[in-house]
Amino acid sequence: MSKILVITSGKGGVGKTTTTANIGVGLAMRGNKVALIDTDTGLRNLDLLLGLENRILYDLVDVTSGRVAYKKALVRHKKYENLYLLPTSQVKDKSAVNPEQLVTLCDEMKKEFDFIIIDCPAGIEQGFKTAIAAADTAIVVTMPEISAVRDADKIIGELGRADKENVKLIVNRIRPQMVEKGDMLDMGDIDEILSVVCIGQVPDDENVVVATNRGEPVITMSNSTAGQAYKNIVARLCGENVPFLKPQKEGFFARLKKLFGLL
Amino acid sequence: MSDIVTIKGLKYGLQLTFAKGASFDDVQANLLDKLQSGNGFFMRGTTVFVPKGYFAEEQNEALRRMFHRHGMLFSTELKRPNLAPPSRDNSSKASAQKFKESVEEAQKMMVINRTVRGGQEVKANCSVLICGNVNPGAQVIAGGSIDIRGTCRGFVHAGAFGDKTACVVADRLMPAQIRIADLIARAPDEDIKTNQAERAMIKDNMIIFEPVAR
Repeated sequence: MSKILVITSGKGGVGKTTTTANIGVGLAMRGNKVALIDTDTGLRNLDLLLGLENRILYDLVDVTSGRVAYKKALVRHKKYENLYLLPTSQVKDKSAVNPEQLVTLCDEMKKEFDFIIIDCPAGIEQGFKTAIAAADTAIVVTMPEISAVRDADKIIGELGRADKENVKLIVNRIRPQMVEKGDMLDMGDIDEILSVVCIGQVPDDENVVVATNRGEPVITMSNSTAGQAYKNIVARLCGENVPFLKPQKEGFFARLKKLFGLL
Repeated sequence: MSDIVTIKGLKYGLQLTFAKGASFDDVQANLLDKLQSGNGFFMRGTTVFVPKGYFAEEQNEALRRMFHRHGMLFSTELKRPNLAPPSRDNSSKASAQKFKESVEEAQKMMVINRTVRGGQEVKANCSVLICGNVNPGAQVIAGGSIDIRGTCRGFVHAGAFGDKTACVVADRLMPAQIRIADLIARAPDEDIKTNQAERAMIKDNMIIFEPVAR
């Protein structure tokens, strides 16, 4: 049974594209055949995170308008052979693709792939409506911050209106020190407002920035806490029961090192 | 004060009648007050009728302008206004209907079996029971009372047509803003967490919260 996931958030900059890339790579590492579809037409980024920008020949708009078959537009990942990207156009805008076209495309791709992951643009306008149309599961990404949680709430409401009842949550960029001091919303607060199943708590990690710039998702880094959190998310998506990571406290020596580093 | 103008729902709109001896200025001030209270009763497109010859022509003209500013039509003749497009007719009909039924409606209850999320709105002429939370940014407006089996963090307005006996009950009542009839209260600026079911109601012309057992 192939699954179609959409990664959405409402607010921009919370890590939709990063999450898409990492979950895609994670599922592919487990041997699944995965297709990533970027629907952020005009502001595409997913190709950069995967380091595939220079290999793009055709895009989503070429496919939905019938100029080429979708197989021609797919870009195979250089390292993971069963991971494919369907990039979108950087010159067109969101009106170039409509929901029906994406549903038709996904129906066709379903036969070939185990997972189709759709990267949704920010906002609740046409781009969002197009992106969610084909999905059977929605993953809402948020951050421990009132504006991001408020927008996630709105998005979950919108998903409900579109009859997408299978909604899961990922809380991204958690900073355990700040949560502990009470300067950041904790999981309890977020759960209470959003009340949807949480499948991931990703700590804030500098490695994500490094990984983005290199075009290699952070999940491939063995020493990264965010990478480990993404691995756990992938395991949970595959139906395994993995406990959440314990928030890592900065140890005494780490703090000492920082102190000397500052001096 | 509220007896200066009496409003009666008709098939095609609202009929205004005035207390004996009320001056035009009083009437105008009272109507403006009602219009600006923003309780959702005066729907755009509703026609308002004033008995012909009750006021002088220039006074009627002043009222007409005031209602127009609020998106309503003004007439001195009791008939369906043929100027209005059909959609407006429907809404004026609906509002008249609403007025007639408002009393019996208030006895009814609407049940919402889900969480009302940010940006969503629940509007009812009757009372509302919500089995779920009312999240920040959500709105619940009811002609009657509001009962929330969950946490209320949004915007709630009970007794929207002016029923001062309406109340709001929630397991955890911490709304951003609460309105009952024409009174408004807002949450304190600092966060207050409650762990007990509370009821908000009007006492001595103020909105008060009191704990209730559930």
